[in-house]
Amino acid sequence: MLVVVAGISHKTAPLELRERLALDEEASLRVAQELLDEGVACEAVALSTCNRTELYLYGRDSLAARQAALAHLARHAGVSPAELEPSLYSYSGDGAITHLFRVTSSLDSMVVGEAQIVAQLKAAYQQACDGGCTSVVFNRLFRHALEVGKRVRTETAIGERPVSVSSAAVELALQVFGKLRDHTVLIVGAGETSELTATHLKAHGIQRILVANRTLDTSMELARRVGGEAVRFEDLERHLAEADIVISSTSAPHYVVTRETVERAFKRRRHRPMFLIDIAVPRDLDPEINRVRDAYLYDIDDLQHVVEHNRHEREKEAEHAERIVEQELASVNDWLRSLEVVPTIATLREAVEDIRRSELDRLGSKMSDLTDEQRARVDMLTASIVNKILHVPTVKMKEVAGRDQCYLYVDAVRTLFDLDGAEAGDETAGDNAARASAADVAASNEQPAAERADADEQPAAPPGNVRHLRGTGTEDA
Amino acid sequence: MDQTSVILVWIAYLLYAATFAVFLIGFFTQRPGMNRLGIVVAAVGLVSQTLALILRGIDAGHFPFVGVYESMVLVAWAIVLVWHVLEAFTRIKAVGLYVMPVVLVLLTIALIEYDPPVGLAPALRSDIVILHVIVMLVAIGCFYVAGGAAIIYLIEETLLRRRKTGGVLGRLPSLAALDRLIYHATLLGLPFLTMGMAAGVIRAETFRVPGWPTDPMVLLSAAAWVVYLVLIAGRVRRDWSGTAVAWLSVVGLVLLLVIRFAAVPYLSGFHTYGG
Repeated sequence: MLVVVAGISHKTAPLELRERLALDEEASLRVAQELLDEGVACEAVALSTCNRTELYLYGRDSLAARQAALAHLARHAGVSPAELEPSLYSYSGDGAITHLFRVTSSLDSMVVGEAQIVAQLKAAYQQACDGGCTSVVFNRLFRHALEVGKRVRTETAIGERPVSVSSAAVELALQVFGKLRDHTVLIVGAGETSELTATHLKAHGIQRILVANRTLDTSMELARRVGGEAVRFEDLERHLAEADIVISSTSAPHYVVTRETVERAFKRRRHRPMFLIDIAVPRDLDPEINRVRDAYLYDIDDLQHVVEHNRHEREKEAEHAERIVEQELASVNDWLRSLEVVPTIATLREAVEDIRRSELDRLGSKMSDLTDEQRARVDMLTASIVNKILHVPTVKMKEVAGRDQCYLYVDAVRTLFDLDGAEAGDETAGDNAARASAADVAASNEQPAAERADADEQPAAPPGNVRHLRGTGTEDA
Repeated sequence: MDQTSVILVWIAYLLYAATFAVFLIGFFTQRPGMNRLGIVVAAVGLVSQTLALILRGIDAGHFPFVGVYESMVLVAWAIVLVWHVLEAFTRIKAVGLYVMPVVLVLLTIALIEYDPPVGLAPALRSDIVILHVIVMLVAIGCFYVAGGAAIIYLIEETLLRRRKTGGVLGRLPSLAALDRLIYHATLLGLPFLTMGMAAGVIRAETFRVPGWPTDPMVLLSAAAWVVYLVLIAGRVRRDWSGTAVAWLSVVGLVLLLVIRFAAVPYLSGFHTYGG
């Protein structure tokens, strides 16, 4: 059994294809359920954002899983599998887990360090979980992935500095003014970036947004969208005196604001600093304005430069994040390995043998009148009882070993006998609850499983049974 | 007892050095919590230094402001105290990065120039002298902190103007926050400076100290007083830009440094307590 991921992203597919492959909530769940029904996977999560569409599967055959994923994605998008094939990437085992962790850490994102992916992945997982498409492995794996995303965010500076023009502009405004609450922003011209910047500023608490455009209708429209007020373009100079932040993006072929205008504005402003952002090409704001005391002027090139620098910084941080991903992969692998049958049988036997030994030691003093021969017999007797009791579970586990759901039995055994007892302390409560409930269900299914084993080799449990097993997601995730 | 006092000063010294190191690490790694840790360590240092001053005062039998050692320890103590108070109100990081090295330099001078406690010269045995010293210390603490904020302001302003947006810029407090800190620290310090100067004049007049109005230290202090008054007036009326306010604060700081390190040891006729 292994984790498989197959999908497309901004790295392999153009926007046009990504659009067609995008899955809405309902479609995500449907695709996941279809894959489960086909029996290629025991657990499935579909992740679809504007930059990627990926299917995460837990199954036996990575190639079959990949082909099934390809077929479903192609059918959903209405393209032929052959057309989709070149853009589709797939990883299995360690590669798939690493990929998942890199995705949640935003290392695989278009903008490295962006924060949205964590929430998107959380939503995708939650939905699959509610739809009964996840179980022991994915419940643990995806929660772990979200933790990795959180860890990367707190331990590295990967998301610290802004890497878009609008957020870089906001960051610089914050550097000048500290808090933006009581400040006023004046938007000159109605460009997309200025609107975006205004929205960012609003998110940072700015109260007053003035919009000035040559056509009043456009101003009013933009003012309505960003929650500001439209002002007449002719009154620009008057409003310049009120504005702490000026964002200009007109299509004018000449300077809209000259140094003299700004100097006049400062006569009324009395040295309160003004931060001017010129996003227009050709420029709207006279570069000489930067020489005015208390005025700080940044044009599009300056902002691009900031963005470039920050992007470089993020790449450096990304190396650190990659190391975190490696560490986390190792810890998940330890756990996945524990879900294999043979080591679990060995651990179970050791645990029971430990109990037998300690009980014999405890009673040793009370049986001091026994001869050595009698002691040897007690030892043999207890060993024989232990072996008899463990015989059936051992055989049954070996029988299910070849089946897809064997890991659920393993998980049940590990939970019932508390074989991971030493580690239980550092697992989250929710995790334990999930495992406990999974164990309950697996245990209640013991009977039919045993019967089937007697009947004959049955490749997989009926889907209904599987669905039932899968319905044991956690509520807290 | 004096030995214990010196050990306590050493402990404070090491704690301040540790604080500085913590601030540096916090500044460059941007790890959260480092600032808080630094402030706590510095607070422990301040407690140690306070005890040291109390022990020294008991030992010498007077308020410990005589000689290089006592005055340096005292000034460093006042700066750390004022910085703690202002930090608690403004929560502005990065100023600690300036305050700690200044304090360390002052304490280094103190420990090199150590002199044993001596009795008070008859001329200094006066309540008004003690008052003069205490209020001056508070004023100096305020102006040192303001000066530090001003230096950071000027560096940051230059970086912003020259568009050096990489590097340290994002780690510095906003210009507005620094401007407020300069203003508040100066606003707090100015009444104390005024009070201290008034106490000095009263004392000089009462004892008819010859030629006090032309004493270099008095003149320089008066100049600093004017600078800070102009700063406050200009800031309130918005006659000065943030840069001008910062420069005035730096000028005031330079005057204070000249007073302490040139006027007191070499020029002043009667402010010779600092050796």
